[in-house]
Formats: sequence, C-alpha cells, structure tokens
Amino acid sequence: MKQELVNIRAGNAFALSDGQGDMEADPCAPIGLFSFDTRFLSRWVLTLNGERLHALSRDELAYFETRFVLVPGAASHYVDADVSVIRHRSINDSFNERITVLNHSAEPAEFTVRMDIGSDFADTAEILRPEPRQPAVVADAVHQQLRICYQRGRFTRESVVSSTAPAEVDQRGMTFRIRVAPDGTWHTDLHVAMIIRGAEGRDLRSSLESHRQHVHQVMPEDLARWFDHAPQLIAERETLMSAYRQALTDLASLRYMPLSYTERVPVGGLPWAMALYGRDALVTCLETLPFTPELTPATLRLLALLQGGQLDDYHDEEPGKILAELRYGESAAFGEQPTAFYYGAADTTPLFVILLDEYERWTGDVELVRQLRHPARMALDWLDEYGDPYGDGYLRYQPRNTVNGLANQTWRNSPEAIVDRHAVAPPYPRATCELQGYAYDAKIRGARLAREFWGDPGYADRLEAEAARLRERFDRDFWLPHRGYYALAITPDGEPVDALTSHLGHLLWSGIVEPERADALAAHLSGPELFSGWGVRTYATGQRPYNPVGAHLGAVWPSDNALVAAGLRRYGYDAEAAQVAAGILAVAETLGGSVPEVIAGFPREITKYPVQLPEAGRPQSWASGGLLMLLATMLGLRPCGENLLANPYVPDGYGRIELLDVPGRWGRADAYGRDRTTGRRVRVGGAAGQRRTVG
Amino acid sequence: MSASAAEYLARQLPGRHPDLPENTAGTLRLDLRDGARTDHWYLTIDHQEVRVDRLAEEADLVVRADREVFDRIAAGRLNPAAALLRNDLTAQGNLRLLLTLRRLFPGPPEARHPREVARAGGRVGTR
Repeated sequence: MKQELVNIRAGNAFALSDGQGDMEADPCAPIGLFSFDTRFLSRWVLTLNGERLHALSRDELAYFETRFVLVPGAASHYVDADVSVIRHRSINDSFNERITVLNHSAEPAEFTVRMDIGSDFADTAEILRPEPRQPAVVADAVHQQLRICYQRGRFTRESVVSSTAPAEVDQRGMTFRIRVAPDGTWHTDLHVAMIIRGAEGRDLRSSLESHRQHVHQVMPEDLARWFDHAPQLIAERETLMSAYRQALTDLASLRYMPLSYTERVPVGGLPWAMALYGRDALVTCLETLPFTPELTPATLRLLALLQGGQLDDYHDEEPGKILAELRYGESAAFGEQPTAFYYGAADTTPLFVILLDEYERWTGDVELVRQLRHPARMALDWLDEYGDPYGDGYLRYQPRNTVNGLANQTWRNSPEAIVDRHAVAPPYPRATCELQGYAYDAKIRGARLAREFWGDPGYADRLEAEAARLRERFDRDFWLPHRGYYALAITPDGEPVDALTSHLGHLLWSGIVEPERADALAAHLSGPELFSGWGVRTYATGQRPYNPVGAHLGAVWPSDNALVAAGLRRYGYDAEAAQVAAGILAVAETLGGSVPEVIAGFPREITKYPVQLPEAGRPQSWASGGLLMLLATMLGLRPCGENLLANPYVPDGYGRIELLDVPGRWGRADAYGRDRTTGRRVRVGGAAGQRRTVG
Repeated sequence: MSASAAEYLARQLPGRHPDLPENTAGTLRLDLRDGARTDHWYLTIDHQEVRVDRLAEEADLVVRADREVFDRIAAGRLNPAAALLRNDLTAQGNLRLLLTLRRLFPGPPEARHPREVARAGGRVGTR
C-alpha cells in the first residue's frame, strides 16, 4: 500500500481515503465511500487552484468523524502557505464534508476550489476489477446538485451530492470560484446521499440537518452509553487501558442494523468485511459476554431468522444451518455471488448453540433460551442430518457450490489452509478437528438447555450420549501418538491430516480433550514451533507449508489466540494462558490503535516489532473482541451459579488490574487481579515476595 | 416441472409447517401483478400453521411483484430477499416476515443432500 489509509465508519457504511482525505479507486483496497456493499463514491479529490493538497494534521475526532488540515503543494516543500483548507467529514447513513478555506494574507484572495466527484458503483466483491458501468450523471445547477445514478433492470443505486454554497456543477464535479477577505474564511457543506431505491422501510436520504444532529448528538450519546454499560477497567498499565478503550470503540463502530431488523449486530470489519458474517459475529459475542452482552441476543435472534430452510447447492444451504455471510451488493442481488444468503460454514451452527448456552450462563436470560428453542433444536438436528454426511458421527464439510463457494468452510477459509505437514490437501468431505470440538460442546450445552429450560430430559440424555461417543471416537481417530497431538483433520477414509496447528487450543476450549492429553497440547501451544512470542501461530514452523505471512499457514490471529488462551485456562495451564494473553496484548500495545485481525508469524525475538500483513483487516470485531476475552481470561472470569467468579492469573509486569461493574445475572460485580512480580520487586533477599492473587 | 405461484399457494402451502418456529406469527399479503390485474393472496401464520385466503386486507407485511417473479420464487429459482435487493419485489411492513416467507417456498429442485454428494465420492461434481 502506497501510504496510510484513513477511515470513518458507521454500521456497514464507511469512507476510506488517503491521508489528505482524497478518495481515488484503487484495486488494492476498497477506497471510496461505501454503504450496503456498494461504492457510492469512487472519486472525491479536492484541489485548490488546480493543485492537490497535503495534510499538516489530522484529527480523528471519533470513529465516525475526522478533520484534516491541509495546505497546497507537495509534502516535500517548505510550508509557507497564505492559505489553508480544513476538511471536516462525518458519516452515518449519509456522508458529509465541510470544506473551509482560510486566507491568512492581509489581502483579499481569489481561489478556485474544485471537487472531482465520480462513482463506479462497484460491488465490494469486485474491487480488484470493477465492472465498467455507465451511470447516468445529471449536473443540476439550479439545485447545486450532482446526481449519479446506476440502473440495472429495476435495481437502482444513486449518489446525490449537494452543496450549500453556490457551485458550478459539471458532469465530473463541482467548482467554486471564491473570493476570501483578508484573514477571512469561506466554507461549503457537501452532502452525499447514498440511495438504494425500492428497499422500503428504510430511507437513506437523510437531510443535512438530520445528519448533523445525528453525528453531533445521537452518535456521541450512543457511544457514551456504550462505554457506560461496559465495565470500567483500572490498570496500572496505561497501555492496557488504551487498548481496552480502543477495543470497545472498535466494537461500537462495527455494529450495524440489517435491512430487515431493528437491533444492531457486529459486522466483520474494515475494509473487506463490512457485512454480517455468522462466524465473526458469533465469536465476537462469545468474546464479549462479560463486557457487552447486549450484542448477543440481537445476533442470536437475527441468525435464527436467517437460519437455513431448504437444500440449495449454490448457497451451500441446508435446513437448520446458520448463515456464513450476508451481502446487499449487486453481485448478491443478481446471484453472481452466492452472498445474498451464503451458508458455506460448518462451524457457525454448533457455535450458535454454544453461544446461546454461554449467554444464559452469564445473564440468566431464560426467556431468550425459550424463544430460541426451535432454531436451536434445528441447529442440533443439522449436526446429525446434514453436518455428518457419512453418518459416522463426524462433522464434515464439502462445498456443493464449486464455482464460487468456499473451499474451506471453517475459520481457516483460505483455499490452501487445510493441508498436512507435507502440503497435501485431504479430499472432501473434510472433518477438521475443531469442528468435532465445537460439535461436542454444542451437544453438551444443548443437553443442559434441554434439561433445564426446554423440559426435554430424554433429548438431553440422547445428546449427552452422542457427545460421549464423539469424544471417545475423536480421541481414538485424531490422536497422533508418536507426535503427541491431535491431527488437524481426518480424510474420508479416516487417515489423519497430521499438521500441528493452533486448533489444539480450540479443542481445549471446547472440552473434548481427555485430561491426560492436555499436558502435551499445552506444551505444543507454548513451544517455539507454535508460539511466536506474540501469539500462537495458526500453523507450526518446521512443516513444509509453514509460511509466516500465510494467513492460515503461520500467521497469528488475536481472535484465534483468545480461544486458545481460554482453552489453556480451562485445563489449568494458567501460566501458558498468561503468556499468550501477554503476547497478543503486547501486539495491541506496541502498534497502538485498533489491533489488526492478523499479524505475521515471525519470531518476536527476531523482528522485535509485530510485522503487519497488508491484507489484514483493522479494525475487526473478533480481533477487538479477542482483546476483551484475553482480559477476562487473565482475570479468570466465569459465571458460577448466581455469582461471578474471578480466579486471576495476571502476566508479569501488569501490576494491578481492576475490572469494575462486570454485568451479569448478579447485576454488577467487580473483579481484581495482580501479577506475581510487582509485589515481589520491593524486597530482594528478605522475606519471600508476596505471591498473591486477589479474587 | 415448475408449478405456478398460484398453484403452489393454493395447493402446497396451506397446512402445517414444522420447520417454522412455533412462535413465528403474522399475516402476509402477496400481491401478484399480471398486466393490469393484481391477485391478492393472504397468508396467516400461527403456531406452524399456514392458512391461505384470497383477501385484499391489511397485513403485517405486503409483498408486491409481477406474477412471473412469484412463479420463480415458487419454483425455487429465486430467493425473495435477492428479489427485494433487485427491486423486482417490494415489501412494506414487518420485513422479518419476508425471511419467514423465504422458508415457506421450496429450494431449487436439483439441490442435493450433503450425503448424496459425499456418497458420489471424490471431488464434487460440477453444476
């Protein structure tokens, strides 16, 4: 990427620009103004007297609002400008930019301010090579409006740009010929409405006034309320507090309201995944239950509404299956991509049941468990009827859409992600190990729900018996005795795919692991082949496919590590879990700002600095949520009956941590922890240092 | 092979739908436009039962489209939500019921069960 990109975002709308605030379509990244998976501005370039501007400063006021201070000319020149320009932009359902020109000289000055404006209405799925579209452009001088409209059949998308100051409007932008008094200013407000015609029940044409009110009052209030509801973190370590605040801000900014819905749910994240992804949303909810439990009921109810209802090969849909991806763009609307409702995920369905149970444990919201009985039953039935194509008890996947469906229908969804130590990919259908862990956990949890809330003890017994058989069979078929870990997957013939991966941590998290195997797994997860110093690699070094910059073949994901650390603690490997938590938090603390969804797998002692991958999303819901989960894991937070239990194991150097007002079935409760070194540092050679944990 | 939407609505749809959650309830009116004429179908969903009437009354959700669009939906060739995105179908009212409507119509007739695909063995067959 040539230079740093700047974004503002709200729900599934975002504007991604260069450091000057200009937006010019680029195949490398979705640059421009987007909403509902459509690019409404692909060109938005400001010039003054024909010259581009460069930024002296940038003020990111909120996730939905940024201000750029600019002067004419290139960055290399000595800055002695008589004129400066401020671009102040914000986004909600529409985009608004105030352009202010300041004349610093003692003389009146004349300027030509020009905004180049264009839209290609590209779908987010085709940023690399957008279709050449021929939108109709209307330069409306009377209303000082530029209307750019794209139609395909009845499908209509329209950008309407209007200016409050007089403008010369042409097909490619707006020009302002202005005269500014000595030490005077001039400004105009440019408003961009993003119109989806026909999607009734939602008016995207918000006026300038309502936009301003929304951005300056409603959104800040909403953000304040979000922070108010979340627990308060007090830590000696300042960087941990900033990372916490940033993660909460990211999560707030990545909530959107689907067209058919009235509550907000998490999108995947910037820049490629500003849409609902079942897995990302479910994992984010699991990560954030002790912090922002309000995300969960909205997500579960929406996914229940969108639950698969029939067999459909193109959409990889089966009855009871939980959604993988939901898009609103042109390619989804016309079925050129299966993403209007795509179900190509084998893990979302068990995760749905796991989240429902975990949510009840934290909140005591029995009503939701009763409301969602039918979808949860359908999800559990799916595991046996459609998820187990051989009827041998293993959850497997095989894309039926072989044109543009996903080759790998787990979180490791890159096409080459599932390979053995020698880079050989198994045939379909594929049974990856973590899917068996999730299925096991879903059955155990489904049994609890059936017994305690659905009044169906017979069904609970059946689920528990199935889970026990799965656990036994899994240990027999996946365990590699000579290597001391569970295989990544097994083939249709039952042959193990012998790669060493971070999935061992998911297995611990799910509880499917026999206790006598756990020592070996923990040793692998904290050993040099998997642990990079920053976190656990997706795929261990020393195997042929290992690649430190391969997303699922060696890179390190905070979301993955959050589950790994929780799994380690579940089996009592507290120090190992603390090591993982400290590594990932160090990534966030070192980089500052939002934690990226993935970093390279290079050893920390060699690079010293987390190596970022250009394609990594940032912020991402499940990465930001992962930081919260790591914090909860450090403190050992767990609901126990009607109480919040804390069993802290805080990494060295963290000092004291207080998490106040953790919401749950107990109302609000506080949790405290302290590392094992700060107390000891005081005395050397005297009485043994304080080794205490405060719960 | 594909029945018309009218036939589907009259013959296949009424009755019990155990795949719907018991707590899904509401009324939908489908307005099928055919040239100058519009046919109204009124669906009442309650406790996994769907009743179908020929009524033009107010409903929680009113869905309008050309008859041909409904025919394709009834044949499992078009997802109502994709039709909404294309603006080939308009919906007014409680849009959640559109997601329920999606589940009242069949999927594509050639769709395969994952077991069938797995039994076929090896790599997946092409579409």
